[in-house]
Amino acid sequence: MKKIPAEEEAMDEQHTHSGIPLKPVYTTDDIQPFDYHQKLNDPGTFPYTRGIRADLHKRRIWIQRELSGEGGPQKSNEQLQYLIERGQLGIDVIGDGPTNSLLDPDHPLAKNAIGTQGVSLCCLQDFRELYRDLPIDKLPVSNSLAAFFAIAALYLVARERDIPPETLRGSLVQAPFFAEDCGYSTHLPFKLRLRLTADSISFCTKEMPKFHSFLEDTYFIREAGLTAVEEMAFGFIEIRYVVRELLKRGLHIDSFGPRIAILVDCGMDLFEEIAKIRATRRIFARMMKDEFGSTDPRTQAVIIASHTSGLSMTAQQPFNNIVRGSIQTLALILAEVQAVEISAFDEAFRIPSKESHLIGLRTQQVIHCESNVSKVIDPLGGSYYIERLTDEMEKKIVDLILDIESQGDPAELSDRGWFKGFFENAMERSARDIRDRKILKVGVNIFEMPQEEDTLLKDIAEEKIEPSWYRIGEIQEYKKSRDQEALRNVLKEIYTLTRETDENLMYPIIGAIEAGATMGEIAGVMRLAYDHHYDPFGMIESPL
Amino acid sequence: MAILGVDQHEVGAIAVSRALRDAGMEVIYAGRFNLPTTIVKTALEEDVDIIGLSCHSWEFLYYVDELLDLLSNAEGHIPVIAGGSIITPGDEKKLIEKGVAAVFCADASMDDIVDAVRRIVTNSV
Repeated sequence: MKKIPAEEEAMDEQHTHSGIPLKPVYTTDDIQPFDYHQKLNDPGTFPYTRGIRADLHKRRIWIQRELSGEGGPQKSNEQLQYLIERGQLGIDVIGDGPTNSLLDPDHPLAKNAIGTQGVSLCCLQDFRELYRDLPIDKLPVSNSLAAFFAIAALYLVARERDIPPETLRGSLVQAPFFAEDCGYSTHLPFKLRLRLTADSISFCTKEMPKFHSFLEDTYFIREAGLTAVEEMAFGFIEIRYVVRELLKRGLHIDSFGPRIAILVDCGMDLFEEIAKIRATRRIFARMMKDEFGSTDPRTQAVIIASHTSGLSMTAQQPFNNIVRGSIQTLALILAEVQAVEISAFDEAFRIPSKESHLIGLRTQQVIHCESNVSKVIDPLGGSYYIERLTDEMEKKIVDLILDIESQGDPAELSDRGWFKGFFENAMERSARDIRDRKILKVGVNIFEMPQEEDTLLKDIAEEKIEPSWYRIGEIQEYKKSRDQEALRNVLKEIYTLTRETDENLMYPIIGAIEAGATMGEIAGVMRLAYDHHYDPFGMIESPL
Repeated sequence: MAILGVDQHEVGAIAVSRALRDAGMEVIYAGRFNLPTTIVKTALEEDVDIIGLSCHSWEFLYYVDELLDLLSNAEGHIPVIAGGSIITPGDEKKLIEKGVAAVFCADASMDDIVDAVRRIVTNSV
């Protein structure tokens, strides 16, 4: 009989996945000194450890959504319609590889990746198709797309449909620091990425005040193999840097603070993930109030959404991933998050199939409707273990933030490749932990199964999506059909304003998109304005 | 070690590169954003013994023919291996038929990869 590792390792020291040592049992001694009002306080009250809503009636049910996007905009629109008809409570879209790299589909490097890992989008007409007949005035619209581009396009589509932009809700990921190293490279210089982040947040503060224009995405940071502690420390480094940048522009913390939200990852260590989220709310509240001078409770109470860990999903025995998604979602609901999207069971192979989308949504609905876990706010509050772990996570996250900031200006650390080095080590450590069975994965390093027996759900998981090559011709034709002189003028204007002024670039970007410019063209002329190549790969010519 | 097209997942490529380096091999890490032409150019310039493709998008399905064609027209023989959790047993079979020297799916261990590289390089010299 195969030995169950829990028995095998019962005598060893136990740790959380972040490496915090665990005791077999926790008692009141583990949480002393304990001042309820200082550490926890009631839900909806500073420092928001127990959640940001005061009571069940004011607390909305979490936004249940699944990350979508496949093929061209029409196909993705059908996906979204399908999920909304089945009870999805938010619209959540991710671009394909080229889109998130700011490459139009007719770029030579984009060819074989069009629409296979998200939706292909590059111009206003694409967004019209993507959002066609969708209730963007009623459901929050959240996107994992380049923020400046997605905000501009959403603003324009809303106006065309007579939806006042100031009523739009939703969120957009801002990732000026780490995306180049561990997510999607855009090949925009750091100063330009930071400027576009600040410009788009400032723009939304005025024009789309209900929209969470500053979504700090720690999901993809964690997915590089970082621990939960490192995930949040890196996220806070980015939040703090962008906040300081906005303050330097003369904005008051409470003018944009209420529009900051965090999209966290959720791995398999259930209690550690819950403690991480509770600690994050407490750190955020104190940071905003004590360090940045916020007096508005809406700034101090941070909205947290989550995408469950794709890295935890395995190619072996993919049906196990359904269980993993359920456990992670349960952790998130117990931790009082405001929105959840589950990494699909076929994540290791492909972007979600129709079946796995539905399973993700239904998992959330079963937890919501059947389990009763969401009926009481912060049900684990007061648990000796959870409170001790929350304290330890808080201390470790804060210590790491201070340690990193003490090593220099984060922008310079980024330039020197400090973060990239950290990510590379974490990537390797993550692979090694599984190889050495420090982290157990059923089907991978324990309870494996011969390949020929591992067939359940494999047919769905292994189904391929062909690249949407039709988009190449479509966009080439579209580009030819435009008024070339007018196009050159708007691109020239962006170039000049980017290079010679510090004006908010969102307004000329909106003008350019309305005049027919594509995402790739706008990104290219902004690169030129910062003395970088129009095309980072040297494969296409600048239209200027 | 190279990643094709706009596939941006780098965890596997870095982990395998380091394991090969730790096993005493020299690794030229070409990283992300490669086309078959750039991979072959780098491979010839650096006089490599073997090319490793790290795959976490389906782009390899469409680029591998071009890569093998370019290599068959180049001087010498440079074997190609491919690995990644998204490579299915069906893909593995197709890649081997096309002439890829070894394929590593999700269940491959680091030792499997290191051993295979050593074996393939020794046999092709």
